[in-house]
Amino acid sequence: MKQLLFTAALALLCFACSKDAASSESNPGKSGSITRFAVYHDFMYVLNLHEVQTYDIQQKDHPVLLNTLATDYGLETITIYDNTIFLGSTTALYILDISNPAAPVIQSKSDRLSDIGFSGCDPVVVKGNYAYSTIKIIANACGSIAAESALVVYNISNKSAPVVVGTYPLGIPNGLGYKDNYLFICDEGTDQLRVFDISNPAMLSETNYSIAITDPYDLIVDGTKMIVSAKTNFQIFDISDLIKIKKLGQISK
Amino acid sequence: MLLRKTIYLLSTGVLLFLLASCYKEERTFYDGPGKKPVYIPLSELKNIGNESPQPIQLSGTIFLRDTLLFVLEQRKGVHVFSLKDSTNTVNLAFFKIPAITDFIISGNYLYADSWKDLVVVDISNLQQIHETSRIPGAISPALYPPLYDGAFECVDESKGAVIDWIDASLENAKCITIN
Repeated sequence: MKQLLFTAALALLCFACSKDAASSESNPGKSGSITRFAVYHDFMYVLNLHEVQTYDIQQKDHPVLLNTLATDYGLETITIYDNTIFLGSTTALYILDISNPAAPVIQSKSDRLSDIGFSGCDPVVVKGNYAYSTIKIIANACGSIAAESALVVYNISNKSAPVVVGTYPLGIPNGLGYKDNYLFICDEGTDQLRVFDISNPAMLSETNYSIAITDPYDLIVDGTKMIVSAKTNFQIFDISDLIKIKKLGQISK
Repeated sequence: MLLRKTIYLLSTGVLLFLLASCYKEERTFYDGPGKKPVYIPLSELKNIGNESPQPIQLSGTIFLRDTLLFVLEQRKGVHVFSLKDSTNTVNLAFFKIPAITDFIISGNYLYADSWKDLVVVDISNLQQIHETSRIPGAISPALYPPLYDGAFECVDESKGAVIDWIDASLENAKCITIN
């Protein structure tokens, strides 16, 4: 009995000290907005430049390729919201139906050229019936064209036919994310984390809560915390009060 | 209106524009400044494991779970930081994954690209990670320098996996990015 108790105590201790282990059933974790990998239940989606691969990861240590969906060239980012995949590509916003997660189906492809006159390459976040996508056009990267980079807002209540309901010029936008009715955008062009009020998605207004950050790249909002990655360092913010965004700490490079 | 303006601006290059960014094409030889690939032997792709924690240099994808922040180090691996105390973050570990450009984590496993392979890494013990499986050829890596516009030395896949692009004085370069 004593031995048993000892074992139990040891097990408890191990449990306590394994807090830094990667696994956590309660919280699956989340990526920033710029990534080519996404996990959805027992499935993983991986973007190549011209296709979406679907893997069965029920047996986590041995993914099995189930399906390959061809797209136009230029896929860059993936995000999943409300049982739907959103892909940002250099030329379009794709919406994929995953009612059958093993075999995604293209519901719509909003060509950025025909819709708004830009071409670019950037991430998407979705809230309710609206998708927010930054489009970056800079010389020597995504087109040496004298055009504006922008935030584009789509009404996606009809996923087969998204409608552009607003475009807002930006410097050199990268990743984005939101908390409640506030959208955060990493704008490398103006060296700011810019904050937009999205309570009326058809007419955004930029707040003056923006934060100066040199070359911000991407961000993760996690409850009342926000982590922003930038070229020179990573910063951690307390965003429980948007009017007083408070820097808590940083990881220096 | 905007569309017309854009097309007007591009009247000489509408086709290129439609092709969007980041293609490469063969063209006549080029001598002069440009980019060339840096290779590692394919055998090195197997070297997945822990290295001592190190500072971030060229970051990419970020992934947060509870108080653990995972940060991509371009073409080298993944950093792990503890944010348990935001005011005093701790650099906990570094996972060496050669040629990595993106990753995700599910449960105890990290999935990443490594040149042309999809690799699965058991990270249940952050200080003792190991590869559990690999799907060769699943990934089609970009064979051109990222965020770059100009001439470059074409990738010769027989030389190994590309882990970097460096400035170089090119001779007989046949590749160019058109945006």
